[in-house]
Amino acid sequence: MSPPLLEVRDLRIRFFTEDGEVRAVEGVSFDLQEGEILGIVGESGCGKSMTALSIMGLVPEPGRVTGGEIRFKGRDLLSMAPDEVRDIRGKDIAMIFQDPLSSLNPVLKTGFQVAEPMLAHQRADKRRALARAVDLLRQVRVPAAEQRARDYPFQLSGGMRQRAMIAMGLANAPSMLIADEPTTALDVTVQAQILDLLRTLNRETRTAIVLITHNLAVVAGLCSRVIVMYAGQIVEEGSVFDLFERPQHPYTWLLLRSVPRLDRTRPERLRSIEGLPPDLIAPPPGCRFHPRCPFRIEPCFTEPPPLQEVGPGQRAACWVTMRRAHEEMGAATLLDVRPGAGSGVHGPIREPHRG
Amino acid sequence: MRWRGTLLYIGQRLLLIVFTVLAVSSIVFIGIHRLPGSVFVSERLRASQMQALLHQYGLDRPLWEQYRDFLLGLLHGDLGISYVNQGVRISPLVGREALVSAEVGALALLFTIGLGMLLGVLAAIRQNTWLDYLFTSTAVVGYSMPNFVVATFLLLVFAVFLQRATGGMLYYQIGWTGTFGSLGEISIPAFALGFPYASVVARLTRASMLEVIRQDYIRTARAKGLPEQLVIVRHALRNALIPVITILGPLVIGILTGSVVIENIFGIPGLGKEFVQSILNRDYNIVVGVFTMYAALVGIANLLVDLLYPLVDPRIRY
Repeated sequence: MSPPLLEVRDLRIRFFTEDGEVRAVEGVSFDLQEGEILGIVGESGCGKSMTALSIMGLVPEPGRVTGGEIRFKGRDLLSMAPDEVRDIRGKDIAMIFQDPLSSLNPVLKTGFQVAEPMLAHQRADKRRALARAVDLLRQVRVPAAEQRARDYPFQLSGGMRQRAMIAMGLANAPSMLIADEPTTALDVTVQAQILDLLRTLNRETRTAIVLITHNLAVVAGLCSRVIVMYAGQIVEEGSVFDLFERPQHPYTWLLLRSVPRLDRTRPERLRSIEGLPPDLIAPPPGCRFHPRCPFRIEPCFTEPPPLQEVGPGQRAACWVTMRRAHEEMGAATLLDVRPGAGSGVHGPIREPHRG
Repeated sequence: MRWRGTLLYIGQRLLLIVFTVLAVSSIVFIGIHRLPGSVFVSERLRASQMQALLHQYGLDRPLWEQYRDFLLGLLHGDLGISYVNQGVRISPLVGREALVSAEVGALALLFTIGLGMLLGVLAAIRQNTWLDYLFTSTAVVGYSMPNFVVATFLLLVFAVFLQRATGGMLYYQIGWTGTFGSLGEISIPAFALGFPYASVVARLTRASMLEVIRQDYIRTARAKGLPEQLVIVRHALRNALIPVITILGPLVIGILTGSVVIENIFGIPGLGKEFVQSILNRDYNIVVGVFTMYAALVGIANLLVDLLYPLVDPRIRY
């Protein structure tokens, strides 16, 4: 296998707030191959967006990358000068954002905004960049592209705005596109169109895509490999098929279980995961998921589990893993998923020291 | 077409301005004629002489007749003649004075917007540094000081201290040499007039910039790999301008009315000086003329400000 396009190693991001240091991302490592579509899933605040922004060098104040490496084509982005990163930004790595209306400048014409990455990297003069912007809009299937290029963002529909964002991302034919919740602000039919477009673009241009979402259906439909994040850490990683078929981390398992199914004949209750994500200023000791985990055992309270191989190409950070939970704790028939319900370990073994 | 709506809008606004000006001048005309005493009260005339003078100027006629003549004159752009400076026609007089005031006002506006925005933007992009604190506290001083205090202070510095320091080589001369002031003559009054408002603009620009640079589209602009200067100027500033333009209307009116004080302090022969002088002289026609001119200026200035909106924010169309 050729060397990966992007290697993230032991990434750490902290937010220095008045209440204390928020450990938003702790020890995240993953690879992205050329032309691959990688999904990163997790709840709001699990650090998935911050991981993406750190690749772009755009972590907002008061956040800072405090450790790790982000190697893009073998070069560490974190040790580069700001101007060098800026040169990669929008040219080799592009990013599109969640809400296409607020992510487009309201006072500039759509065509110009699509052309801007080319101008920023001196790829074309203004006239040619604007002409190419119309081509790009056509490529992302914006109808009447010439007319739309002259419109302002507020004159476009939600789907068209996101298409324009994607066109903007593709302007300099990047080798990697980060899509941060690209369909969340759109209605369902438009979501499907946008995902379809991303898939086509990936096939046609071989642009690698990092897709960040909390929507498991989006991941299932588009990605080849998935990373599940919880409380700033990767809890599970694997191919979409393995992960959906045989999730090994209880969080992934609960996440998949909480997706409402329409193909059941009898209506059932909506299942959720008990409890709330932890406070990242003082994260729980041991496994960060243990306060909500139905299968926790004693080491979970004290020892952080390493991310280890649980199957071919699948890794999970769990002392128990779902294989054992199924075999010993009857996970499949478990109705009560309150913390400790499966394993019978309810309270902390040792009082965790806080602060 | 695109411009038809705009032209129609301008037409409507101009019509409104005409009515406003008519209403203002009518109220002032009737009001000032109802005041006790008359133009010639300070001349200590005998009753018969007074009667003769009033008759000569037609001031002994019924008020409605005088008002009718005034309106007929106004429709032809004729505001009558001065009672105190005999034979002086008022329309060209206030017209010229309005130009003088507009000259000072325009430079004051330039100070207000230029200085205000520059300081506001710099303070915002250097938020919480000494530069920000310096500009913010200067702005607080600026808008807590009325313009006559600023004016007096500037006079003290430029007309007194500077004259002593340079032995009279470099100093500010109160009063005007020609009909219109030179740049040296108008810049200090204009600064005094504009400075308090520049502070308001600086504060607003800072707040608005700080809000805009946290917007998603600024992150998009950075994600494109644009240099920071372009992100600020092209993406942030234009959006930050929108609330600044909103206060431009009241601001222009503030500058126009502020000119009454400033012109009297600096001895500028503009509308503001005439305003005070004519009221003191009971020179009825000039008072009405000055008010009429002010009403027209405020109306037109507001119209111009409103026409700026769609240029900055494409979401606004008339």
